[in-house]
Amino acid sequence: MAQKNRAQASRGPDLKVFYGVLAVVAIAGIGWIAYSVANQGSAAAVAPIELTGIQDVDSLLAQARGVIDGDAEAPVQVMVFSDFTCPGCRSFAGLVEPQLKQDFVTTGNVRFIYYDFPLGGTGHRHGFIAARAARCAGDQDSFWEYHDVLFGRQGEWPFAPDVPLDELTDYAAMLNLDRAEFGSCLRSDKYADIVTANRILGQRLGVGSTPTVFIGGRSVPNPFDYDAVKAAIEAALGGA
Amino acid sequence: MTRMGMAVAALAGILISGYMLLYKLGVISTLVCGTGSCELVQASPWSDFLGVPVPLWGVAGYGLIFVTSLIGIQPGRAGDKRIALVLLVAATFAFAFSAWLSWIEEYRIQAWCRWCIASAIVATLLFGLSLAEVRVLRREPDNA
Repeated sequence: MAQKNRAQASRGPDLKVFYGVLAVVAIAGIGWIAYSVANQGSAAAVAPIELTGIQDVDSLLAQARGVIDGDAEAPVQVMVFSDFTCPGCRSFAGLVEPQLKQDFVTTGNVRFIYYDFPLGGTGHRHGFIAARAARCAGDQDSFWEYHDVLFGRQGEWPFAPDVPLDELTDYAAMLNLDRAEFGSCLRSDKYADIVTANRILGQRLGVGSTPTVFIGGRSVPNPFDYDAVKAAIEAALGGA
Repeated sequence: MTRMGMAVAALAGILISGYMLLYKLGVISTLVCGTGSCELVQASPWSDFLGVPVPLWGVAGYGLIFVTSLIGIQPGRAGDKRIALVLLVAATFAFAFSAWLSWIEEYRIQAWCRWCIASAIVATLLFGLSLAEVRVLRREPDNA
C-alpha cells in the first residue's frame, strides 16, 4: 500500500510547478489589489456607503430624502427615481418634467420629489457622485438648475475615464455657485448617506430601471408619455 | 492533485475576499469592474454575519482551506483523514454559506455583486474538489 502511494506521488504533478502556479496567482492578485489601493483618487465618495439602522422601512424612510419641488400640502405626490447618467432620465427631465411642473406643480396640485437612483456599472459609474454634486448645488439653492446642467451635458461628463470632479465643479461655477464651497462638499462624503438610502428605498419599492415614476404611490408604465402621466395625475387628483 | 486545485482555488478566494474586505474597511473607495451592485450589497444589513464583516469570514474560511490543502499535499499526508475531514467540512460550509448569501442577494437585497458571484464560484469549485476527500475518509487504515 505504501509503495502504491509512493508510486502515485511520483506520478503526480511536480510540487515546484504547483508552487510556481500558486506564486503567479498570488502575485497577480496582490498586484491587482495594490493597484486598486494606489488609484484611489480623491476622498470624494463616489459609491454607495454602508448604512446602519435601515432594517425596517420606517428607519430607511428617515434616512432617504428626495428633493422637493412644489407645495408641501399638494394633494398628489409624484416621486421620480432617476440617474443623471441615464439617457431616459434626460428625456424625462427635458420633455415631461417641465410640462408636468407647469401644469400641476405651479398650480399647487402636485408635489414633485426627485430621488437619486444611481445605477452604477458601465456607462453609469459616475451617477453616484453626480447625485452628490446636485445635492451640493442644492446647498446653494441650485439643485434644479444643476440638475438641468447635468442632463444637458450628459454627452460629456458620464464618459470621463476618471471621477469627473473638475467637470462637476466647473458646472457649478457656470451657475455662479461658490466654487470653493461646492468643491469642498463634492470632495467629501457629504450626502453619500442620503443618496445611498434613496437608492435602497428605490429598490425596496421595486425600482429596476430609471426613470421610474410613482404617482399617488403607483408606478407609471410609460413615464415618457406625458398624456399618460397627466392622466395618472388627474386620476390621483380625482381620488385625492 | 485535487488538493493542489483546492489550494489554488482557495488562494483566489482569499484574494477576492481580501479585496472586498479592503473596500468594507474603507481602504478602497471604489470597486473595480463594479458593473453589478457590489456597493449596494456591501451597504446592506447582510454584509455582516454575527457582527463580523462577511468578507472577513471569507478570508478566514478560504485561509483555512488554503493552509490545510498545503499541508495535505506534503509527502505522507495523502491519506491523512484529519486533513480530509477539515477540507470536506470547510468546503461544504463555504459552499452552503455562499449559497445562502446568493439567496440573500436575489431575494432580500435584490442586487448582485460580481465579486460575490466570483467567490460563490470558487466556493462551488472547492466543494466539488472536496468530494474527493470522501474516498480518503472511507479508506481502510494503512498498516504499512
